[in-house]
Amino acid sequence: MSDAETLDGMSTVEVRTSATAALIPTIRAVASDLAARADFDLDAISDLRMAVDEACATLVDAADPTSVLQCRFLVRPERIRVHAEVETAKADTVLSTDTFGWRVLQTLADDVEVLHEAGVDGRRATVGIRLDKSAGDVPR
Amino acid sequence: MSDAAPDPFGVGLPLDTQLSRPRPGSVLLAVDGEIDTLTAARLQAGVDEAVEAARADGASVVADLSGVTFLASSGLAVLIGAARRLAELGGRLHLVAASRAVTRPLQVTGADALFDIHDDVTSALETARFPDVAPPPGEVGR
Amino acid sequence: MTRADPEYGHLIPLLEEYASTGADDPRRETLRAALVTGFLPVAQHIARRFSNRGEPLDDLVQVATVGLINAVDRFSPERGSDFFSFAVPTISGEVRRHFRDLGWSMRVPRRLKDLHVSINGVVSELSQSLGRAPKPTEIAERLGLPVSEVLEGLEASEAYRSSSLDEMLSSEQGSATVGELVGEADAELNRVDFRQALRPVLGELAPRERTILLLRFFGNMTQTQIAQEVGISQMHVSRLLTQTLDRLRNRLDPETRVG
Repeated sequence: MSDAETLDGMSTVEVRTSATAALIPTIRAVASDLAARADFDLDAISDLRMAVDEACATLVDAADPTSVLQCRFLVRPERIRVHAEVETAKADTVLSTDTFGWRVLQTLADDVEVLHEAGVDGRRATVGIRLDKSAGDVPR
Repeated sequence: MSDAAPDPFGVGLPLDTQLSRPRPGSVLLAVDGEIDTLTAARLQAGVDEAVEAARADGASVVADLSGVTFLASSGLAVLIGAARRLAELGGRLHLVAASRAVTRPLQVTGADALFDIHDDVTSALETARFPDVAPPPGEVGR
Repeated sequence: MTRADPEYGHLIPLLEEYASTGADDPRRETLRAALVTGFLPVAQHIARRFSNRGEPLDDLVQVATVGLINAVDRFSPERGSDFFSFAVPTISGEVRRHFRDLGWSMRVPRRLKDLHVSINGVVSELSQSLGRAPKPTEIAERLGLPVSEVLEGLEASEAYRSSSLDEMLSSEQGSATVGELVGEADAELNRVDFRQALRPVLGELAPRERTILLLRFFGNMTQTQIAQEVGISQMHVSRLLTQTLDRLRNRLDPETRVG
């Protein structure tokens, strides 16, 4: 068993970019690729791609200009979990969840959560989004 | 906005829009590329000109999205806003949407109900050949 | 690039003369040829900027030259802007349109195009029978292909244009109104990152020009709405916007800095 796998058959793919909208397409491409290889149906692939884009765009908007956008994909058969995160200038940065984009994200993903981490031990405050998407049928 | 270069690949924005009048009574906005937070403003500019042209001359608006490879919520918002403005003028926004990248977001958000959606440009222009936006009274077209 | 530029300055009077000639004026062809030849380096320069997209430079120069001919034909000196501010976006627009029309057919090898067609063919059939979108393995099984090929085909298909615009569009080029051309110029600059870049130069503008620019790019108003707000005609707004944007564009957009 390789380092990339765990006992429950989960593989990890991590992408780190500057927190800029211009590099989100690359993260979308990774999301599409993973979902297609995990044999998601074509609609689920499209939904995951769009959900990852939405999460990254929301985070880039809230990010400190010097921040990195970190996106971790946890790939299991039938389900992918995405954990995206940026550093923020202020510890109390709040993500707007009453926007059209957030409602779209909730429609696309099976489950979405906002995560805040206050900066401790000299590390910067971060804000992140965790979303889950499964391979099969998506209810309208 | 990040310190990173706005155009890291040095090729400009991955979205093109082109406005034309293929026949009297219709305004056609051809859109190619990706519609996301980076490019949504350019789509907005193209849509603004199309709606303005339709209003000034009394014409239907067709947005050809058959060359669009990705449609984010920011792009959906632009299209919905345009549909709303045209509705106030008595018109519909006609969309040409053939690929899953465009049809899926429209369908899964339920936004497809707000537009007249066609498989190809020819049938969209056929349906939109009668201008559904009346020109302003007393004003001659540009 | 200004009227005083030594390299192209001698062509300005020719532009004015050409604009004044009627369709059957015997001077017209000679002037046109002189202008296109004279400004050809501009078209070549723009073509070179697109040369990293996999298209042969010669083809791009040809396309850019067509754009230059259109710019020469459509430029009217009394618009108040200098020729480059008009010609550069016209030429770039022609080259971009070339890529847009090519898109699929040039970038993707035949094998993948055929694959895409095959995949498309079975997707709707499978969607019907499955009651949902198919998975890559289901498509592969139906086509009798390895999944890896289907994955490759799906990836390539994200670049696909499913319909192409016919000659209806190219015939419109000749009758494009000033409003449409200004719209193209606006669209060039109406990018989120340019809005950030515009802020510092706003201070350099006269109050009315600054107001109009703010309303257009930060207030998202149409030209007609701005006209009502400022108390001038829409055509006047259009002209002022073009002039202001042209000046700013030369400072902001490396693509339009010629020479």
